Amino acid sequence: MKVTVKLIGPFIYKAGFSEKVIDLEPGATVSKVILTLNLDSSRPHIVTRNGRAVAPTEQLEDGDRLVIAPIYSGG
Amino acid sequence: MYGWTGNILRIDLSHRIYKKESFDEKFALKWVGGRGFALKILWDELKPGIDPLGPENKLIIAVGPIAGIPAPNTGKTVVAAKSPLTGGYGDGNLGTRVTDQMRKAGYDVIIIEGKADNPTYLYIEDDKVEFLPASEIWGKGTYETQDWLYTRYGKGAGLLTIGQGGENLNLYAMIRSLEGRAGGRPGIGAVMGSKKLKAIVVKGSKPIPQADPEGMKKLGTEDLRKVQQIDRETGWSIQGTTGVLAWCNEVAALPVRNMRKTFHPEAWKIDGERLNAARVATYGCPNCTMRCGITILDHEGHKSELDYENIGMLGSNLEIFELDQVASLNYLCDDYGIDTISAGGTLAFYADAIDHGAIEGDFRFGDAEKAKELLRLAALRDGKLGNMLANGSLRMAREIGHGSEAYAMQVKGLEISAYNCKFIPGMALAYGTSPIGAHHKESWVITFEIKQTERGSYGPEKAAKVIELQRIRGGLFEFIVACRFPWIELGWDVKNYAIYFNKITGLNWTVEDFWKVADRIYSLMKFFWVREFPNWNRQMDYPPMVWFDPTNADKEGPIAGKILELDKYDRLLDYYYEQRGWDKRGIPTLKTAQELDLIEEATEVQKFTKLE
Repeated sequence: MKVTVKLIGPFIYKAGFSEKVIDLEPGATVSKVILTLNLDSSRPHIVTRNGRAVAPTEQLEDGDRLVIAPIYSGG
Repeated sequence: MYGWTGNILRIDLSHRIYKKESFDEKFALKWVGGRGFALKILWDELKPGIDPLGPENKLIIAVGPIAGIPAPNTGKTVVAAKSPLTGGYGDGNLGTRVTDQMRKAGYDVIIIEGKADNPTYLYIEDDKVEFLPASEIWGKGTYETQDWLYTRYGKGAGLLTIGQGGENLNLYAMIRSLEGRAGGRPGIGAVMGSKKLKAIVVKGSKPIPQADPEGMKKLGTEDLRKVQQIDRETGWSIQGTTGVLAWCNEVAALPVRNMRKTFHPEAWKIDGERLNAARVATYGCPNCTMRCGITILDHEGHKSELDYENIGMLGSNLEIFELDQVASLNYLCDDYGIDTISAGGTLAFYADAIDHGAIEGDFRFGDAEKAKELLRLAALRDGKLGNMLANGSLRMAREIGHGSEAYAMQVKGLEISAYNCKFIPGMALAYGTSPIGAHHKESWVITFEIKQTERGSYGPEKAAKVIELQRIRGGLFEFIVACRFPWIELGWDVKNYAIYFNKITGLNWTVEDFWKVADRIYSLMKFFWVREFPNWNRQMDYPPMVWFDPTNADKEGPIAGKILELDKYDRLLDYYYEQRGWDKRGIPTLKTAQELDLIEEATEVQKFTKLE
């Protein structure tokens, strides 16, 4: 299945891209994406799926948009 | 007494006199510094109902015990006065060399009162104060003013200046320092301008009194390095605060078109990635290793230092997606010395009011060149339109009518900063209960709200989180006076600040002691408002009504069809008031005043309204 991953802020420079479509096995979870991208999951972050926050264990579906962002404090 | 100089410098511009006064340990321990000192002095010394732009108002400059000490990130100073924009308590903080120079000169607080006969600037060097003519710099922007002063006093001098906005009493004029630092959103720069005070220069040469100066120096220097290392590892400074724009755009929280919309397909053009790529310099505050001032060249070739609020309010909220043009608007605001947030909010309101037929005009969303002209009119109060724009969105709405107050995006008269809470109840509460009017600096709960709660819920946990963050952000960091970024952006433990505080003061405080001071300050700030507005009611803590309007709901995207619900927001306010020990009007009760050692203040406020 194909999932669009959008990275925010410093994650862009860790993963080497800002936004791209990635291929995943059916049933892949949010954690799997973070692992695949080699992002440090121990740092505070927030993941939204189609605009709604999701847990690491949530399974993704074809066509999802996943946004991975650090926790900001707001300007 | 360690940690405080114990000195207040009182300067009377009307009579061109000054004197050094002292405060005792009891005062220091009760109010700590910064916002605490400023608030208590304004409460004690201002008569209720005074004209904020009259000589009776006082401009307070205050630092705290850890301000100016080399440690993460201690380069900030608080500026405060009765706000001409809101009529209530007003303050802000900014990074400036004044912080350490003022402490080295031997002062924790400077009180400026009266009004000069002619444009004046102050030169403060240790025990000496000079009243000097500012005729050569009156009418100049802040950049030229700073250059003029640097030429005379050197780059190491602490400077606070106003631009034409402050001189012309634009109600959201700021006080400026360094390359792009500004503080005092609720018109504190206008208060300075009303006193015909163009600038303050501070130089000091004395040691800052500390209980353990060697230990603090070692610890503070080590911790600055550690924070720098964490920043490098996480990469936070690559985009600084501007990274949040892309995220707000994804989760439908971006201010677009006077906050009518919550995201925009062209937002990427002004996001942190584009800013970082266009960067020509990076600026920051003194004692900071995570400098957030990403600087690019604007449309006219000026260096313009930007953060998220600038690109959100002068970019997406005006539907201007040309980065160099957004930088131009930001440069103009900095040079005129007016607040980018209120300027963006007020211009957006004007465009929206034209769209809705409430006023005639030729300004449209997306028109950067016209926006530049409007900023000039607002800063100079040029003509009828310039005067309206200089007064902020609420006054403008009340003047033009046609129901436009519902979409003047402000609380208590202060424009909402760059988080669109169309469907974010907890953040709307944070804006509603911010003690200077809508400002994110007091409490920023969006990520908590979206990550850890049901976004559209209105439970007591959201009120609790708002209070928790207000205690840290609007409390601790405003009274010890330091930047919150190491803590909130990099996870630097807030307990470190208790360690610094104790090393400097020789005391043995815990963070719980800080929360008590924070609660005391929040309750006295509310008393200040109530004394100015004796018919106070909970509606003063409401966000703008358009956020409750079903016709304003997004038509597409993550929050399509969703809006805030007023009855539920009221319940959320109740939770907040209950947890703070305030009554249904949002006023601290007598019991709360007793618990916070505010009996004298409660007695005073009872002259204006009965406490429960």
